[in-house]
Amino acid sequence: MMQSSPFNFRRAVIWVGRLVLGGIFIYAGYAKLTMGMHPHPPLGVALSFFALQVDSYQILPSWGVKFVANTLPFAEVGLGLLLLIGWRFRIWATLVSLIMLGFFAAVVRSYAMGLQINCGCFANPEPLTIKTVFRDGLLAALAVVMTIFAFMEARKPHPWATPEKASS
Amino acid sequence: MVIQEDRVNCRRVLAGSLFAVLCSLSCVLLATADARQSVGGVSDVDFHKAFGSKTAPITMEVFSDFQCPACKSFYNGTNRQLMDNYVSTGKIFLIHRDFPLPVHAYSRVAARYGRAAAEIGKFEPVEQVLFQNQEKWEQTGDVDGTVAGVLSANEMAKVRALVKGGTLDTAIDRDQALGQGYHVNQTPTSIIHFKGQTYPVAGVITYDILKQFLDQLLSQK
Repeated sequence: MMQSSPFNFRRAVIWVGRLVLGGIFIYAGYAKLTMGMHPHPPLGVALSFFALQVDSYQILPSWGVKFVANTLPFAEVGLGLLLLIGWRFRIWATLVSLIMLGFFAAVVRSYAMGLQINCGCFANPEPLTIKTVFRDGLLAALAVVMTIFAFMEARKPHPWATPEKASS
Repeated sequence: MVIQEDRVNCRRVLAGSLFAVLCSLSCVLLATADARQSVGGVSDVDFHKAFGSKTAPITMEVFSDFQCPACKSFYNGTNRQLMDNYVSTGKIFLIHRDFPLPVHAYSRVAARYGRAAAEIGKFEPVEQVLFQNQEKWEQTGDVDGTVAGVLSANEMAKVRALVKGGTLDTAIDRDQALGQGYHVNQTPTSIIHFKGQTYPVAGVITYDILKQFLDQLLSQK
């Protein structure tokens, strides 16, 4: 009975993950598209400015930088919304985990190489520091744990399902 | 009685005229000072270290350190193409700012030589030789010898006199203070100004990606 309670630890973590990561993804994508400016700059300016931030990591070739810069902000907003809505949750949670792990790897690499660049995480230029590394690490860990718990919970009957339905 | 009134009036007219002349003079002086120091909304421009047209739609400040390897990379990979395709065509007004980092032993010395060379109109060759020979002079500290390689004996004498004069540090400090105003804490950092907006970019940027951004800005005209 306790196992199938809607308020167990795993479900709490999943809910926290959905709210935190969903909110952050929507904000991060929106901030990249508007650059936090009023009035908002044209989309082309915002995306090409974000490309400069991606380029400063010195990981991707020019075509890769352009691809990431032109798709990531939209993907972040979309994934954030999907996390909050919860539709096909495990698929999107897996994707968010992979993206977060990618961010974390990029940040750790740049920090280890001593690249003194801006994080490019949100609208405001934010220097990449050890604080950024820890923050991204925590968010990546939350995304991974949330995804694992989501798969574990999916194997169990839904807490609100009737016993007959659950057993059938 | 009438004579006294005339004298008073005469004094008033004289005082008024003097005030008007002083005001006009101040306005002219202030306007001249602004024209000398402010371009594209950017203040304190040293024209010895700035390139391109003052009426260019984009103004770009590059905070750089002669001893920083990333600055060398930026100079070789991006800056030259930027000069050829945007600065010389009147699209960008490029300002070089000194930002010698304290972790580099000879950064400030190199900045002094760069600024001295700028004052005699020889910044470009000195900038080039300092970046191209960065690995050599950062080992030996021989900035003077490196700069002497591209200047004539007469020019070098002027540069040495300026460096020894000890007045260049004030200008370097002023550039650094400007950088701190933009929260610059790394080199190279480029501050791009366009239509009253400021776009800061830290680190080395590929020319291809920078071009895309600049073209987007210019397409807004």
